[in-house]
Amino acid sequence: MTSPLIDAAGVALTLGRGSARVDILKGIDLSVSPGETVALLGPSGSGKSSLMAILSGLERADAGRVAIDGLDFTNLDEDGLAAARRGRIGIILQAFHLLPTMTALENVAIPLELAGVADAFDRAGAELAAVGLGHRPSHYPQQLSGGEQQRVAIARATAPRPALIFADEPTGNLDAATGASIMDLLFDRQCETGATLFIITHDAALASRCGRIVEMRDGVIHSDQRAG
Amino acid sequence: MRIAWALALRDLRGGLRGLRLLVACLFLGVTALAAVGSLSSSITAELNTRGREILGGDVELRVAQRQASAGERAAFDRLGTVSESLRMRAMTSRTDGGASLLAELKSVDARWPLYGRLTLAPGARSDRPRGFDATIAPALADALSLRIGDHFRVGQAELRVIGLITDEPDRVGEGFTFGPTILVSPQALAATGLVQPGSLFTARYRVRLADAADTTKLADELDRRFRTGGWEISDRTNAARGLRRFIDRLGEFLTLVGLSALIVAGIGVANGVGSWLDQRRPSIATLKILGASSGTVFRTYLIQVGLIAAGTIIAGLAAGAATPALVAMVAADALPLPLRLSLYPQPLLTSAAYGVLASLLFSLIPLARARTVSPATIFRMRVEPFRRPSWPTLVVMAMAGLAVAALAIGTASQPLLSAGVLAGAVLLLLVLAGSGALVRRIARALPRPRRPLLRLAIANLHRPGSQTIGLVVALGLGLTMFVILAVLQTSLATQIERTVPATAPNFFALDIPTTDIERFRAAVHAESRAAKIAVVPSLRGTVVAVRGVRVTDMKPVPEGAWILNGDRGITYAAHLPQGSEIVAGRWWPADYAGPPLVSIEEQGARALGLKPGDTLTISVLGVEMETRIASIRRVNWETMGFNFGIVFAPGTLEGAPHSYMATISLPDAPESRVSRALVKAFPSVSLIRVKDIVGQLATIFDQMALAIRAAASVALASGVAVLIGAIAASRRARLYDAVLLKMLGATRGQILAAQAIEYALLAAVIAILAFAAGVAVGWYIVIHIFEFRWTPDWATILATLGVGIVATLGIGLLGSLALLNARPARALRQL
Repeated sequence: MTSPLIDAAGVALTLGRGSARVDILKGIDLSVSPGETVALLGPSGSGKSSLMAILSGLERADAGRVAIDGLDFTNLDEDGLAAARRGRIGIILQAFHLLPTMTALENVAIPLELAGVADAFDRAGAELAAVGLGHRPSHYPQQLSGGEQQRVAIARATAPRPALIFADEPTGNLDAATGASIMDLLFDRQCETGATLFIITHDAALASRCGRIVEMRDGVIHSDQRAG
Repeated sequence: MRIAWALALRDLRGGLRGLRLLVACLFLGVTALAAVGSLSSSITAELNTRGREILGGDVELRVAQRQASAGERAAFDRLGTVSESLRMRAMTSRTDGGASLLAELKSVDARWPLYGRLTLAPGARSDRPRGFDATIAPALADALSLRIGDHFRVGQAELRVIGLITDEPDRVGEGFTFGPTILVSPQALAATGLVQPGSLFTARYRVRLADAADTTKLADELDRRFRTGGWEISDRTNAARGLRRFIDRLGEFLTLVGLSALIVAGIGVANGVGSWLDQRRPSIATLKILGASSGTVFRTYLIQVGLIAAGTIIAGLAAGAATPALVAMVAADALPLPLRLSLYPQPLLTSAAYGVLASLLFSLIPLARARTVSPATIFRMRVEPFRRPSWPTLVVMAMAGLAVAALAIGTASQPLLSAGVLAGAVLLLLVLAGSGALVRRIARALPRPRRPLLRLAIANLHRPGSQTIGLVVALGLGLTMFVILAVLQTSLATQIERTVPATAPNFFALDIPTTDIERFRAAVHAESRAAKIAVVPSLRGTVVAVRGVRVTDMKPVPEGAWILNGDRGITYAAHLPQGSEIVAGRWWPADYAGPPLVSIEEQGARALGLKPGDTLTISVLGVEMETRIASIRRVNWETMGFNFGIVFAPGTLEGAPHSYMATISLPDAPESRVSRALVKAFPSVSLIRVKDIVGQLATIFDQMALAIRAAASVALASGVAVLIGAIAASRRARLYDAVLLKMLGATRGQILAAQAIEYALLAAVIAILAFAAGVAVGWYIVIHIFEFRWTPDWATILATLGVGIVATLGIGLLGSLALLNARPARALRQL
């Protein structure tokens, strides 16, 4: 049996204090194997984004344990988590979050540069071509459409060949047709790279394309179903 | 580091938009410092370069009330070519008995000037005065309506004007003078009959050395050799010592004002970098998501701040270096001598160092905060709690702060004063910051008003991200400086205005021959029956040894030991002079006739640690006398009577040739009538109108105040920049408020009123703080440093404060006008 890529146990997160205290996550146990595609469903405020933030090392849990690809995140400080993400985790966000002062090519190259990859720009160029934007490497984010920006974000996430890709509502800011093409691209890239894909979405149709659907409600996992 | 550089350069493509405040404030601060430094350097450089010309020779030997003896002159002649000139005050008048004026009469021999050239206006009949001819300053020609060829009277001589002086090469080196110059030959001076035993004149012997010797060493040797004769020696490297000292001190003081301005600018730097990094939070979080360490993030933004700061500092240095040229263009007449325009690296390097240190000191906290931005910020905007900066950050900041202090104190000639001013500025900053925090706290604790506009205004003072503290500090410090200046200026002006008519005499009369005293009194009383005349003997003397230690061996001479500075006026008296009180020892009996005793002024005595019983050796007319201190006196200098630092007991100086001085108060006669009669009857007596001296002092003080105000304006301009930055930083929140209020039916007038209330509240707080702090600091300076009376003009001070507040906050309100035009629907989509 292969060891899980995501191994979370008893993950809890609380924000605020006193009367403003909110328990966001209430003891989450989750295990995801390499190569799986997982959709995380749930209403607003159910804790989806917080769980993703903890699993990707963007936020630290108040309780519980998280290990990604065998590396225990629990005791890592912020810089340790940043180093742990490099080459291991790719993240795609609803609002794209490209760096506005950098070109499409430079945006894709950053994670490679941070990881000290020598041919960062060559690989970024290839990655950009793979998402269909090989002809627009010098464009700045504000010169690109929403769909194109999300393509750049996908290229940026997949460029270091991470074992795990998180996508938080990747089509939330896009129209239906563009959203569909972006999802096609994302699944294609996942197939080609063999990465584990972890998607947060409200979209049941999109979730159905995943091999596994986890549903959250009120800070706990309500259901966990595998397709077929 | 390479990746940080790459990221920094890419991020800079976004432009300077967010860092305009950093640029504006740092530019102002560095420009002010570089301008002050370059200005004083260009004056000092002129003094250094033209040292020989200003001094009139390689070495100058001067003595009061006598000329060199044959032996002394022979010794001077052995050094090289010697030129003799005598200078004294003298009354001059038209030959028809019309207008009269106090002038500076200067006789020059055929060798004068040894260096430089006497320049006369076109139309002169000769290139230099010979026989009974004179060249005069244009001011004298104007005052007496004299033209070339006209005759005028000085003492017993009638002289002819043969030219108007446009440049007297050694004028600056001869120090402060009362009137315009008259240049004559030694023959003409002798004919005036003004040079008598005991009359007050200075003889100068300038030497052009045969070989280019080490003039400083030679001057030291000459000082040792001739000091006993009351000689004072200068060399070309320290010409115009008084002016040099004045420029140095004023330069240092203005640098301290500039440094205080840089501290205000620093707040702008901190706010500017802080709000710029706030805009960058999504980028910072994104970089962290992509694996950038907090160190990489810190370095990326440090490099950007560093590059922009470096560019700004260079621009500030360029503007500062160009200032002397600008001043020379617009205000050349107000300067004591032309500026030597050049690039002076030393003040520029110092200003650059201040700029770098201030940038580091004030941008480290926001940069350290950026380091801790959580990548989870991407998911939810939350206000990060304020975290204490890490120890390494605090250590670097402390080192930068200490380096600023060390630079300011280390480069000052009065380190204690610089340290005091810096400590005061830091204390003031802390008080203002504390007050700002208190304002926030009070605003938060106040019961919520029922009126929504007032509620909004108060909430703006304490809402998260409000810049109340920064604004109170920045505007408060700038305005406090203006209040301090207003306090000092009005205290001094009021004091002069109030004191002069009440206690000051109308005239000082100098050089009254001993034999003419009674005739002089009678002449005054003939014009004014109620005239009050106070007469004192007047001589010049030089302290040559203190408790047996030669002054030439005292290096350095203690600060404040002014009684050692060259020859001083001395007198003798049987009774304690009016306006003096004994603070130690005892005044001598009126009929005292023992060994020489003296009474010393308190501050001069304190500087040298003198007490009754100590000995002072004083040289009078070339004769050294060992005297014993009988008493220490506190002198009330404000009475504007004759106050002497050194007063001899009777029985010592009566036999020495000397003249008298008198103060004349005229309660019942016009000054002009008395002055005309006295000038006619006593051509050798110099009459100085007190109003003229007060006028000259007021002009000097006004010029200094202008320079200080210009430097303080930089602090206020930085404060305004901070205000504009604060408005820009809170624009989003304010736009949101404005749009929502509009959506709910508020008019533009109502929204503007809410802003006005907020600024009025802030203005009131800042005004009260600036007033309290400015008056407190001003009081301390007036009472404890200047030792003047506390007579500020409250109306002027309040008006200064009012104008400052209205101007700065008016700018604030103007900045808010743009928000009123926002269209709600569009703005809501964008927010």
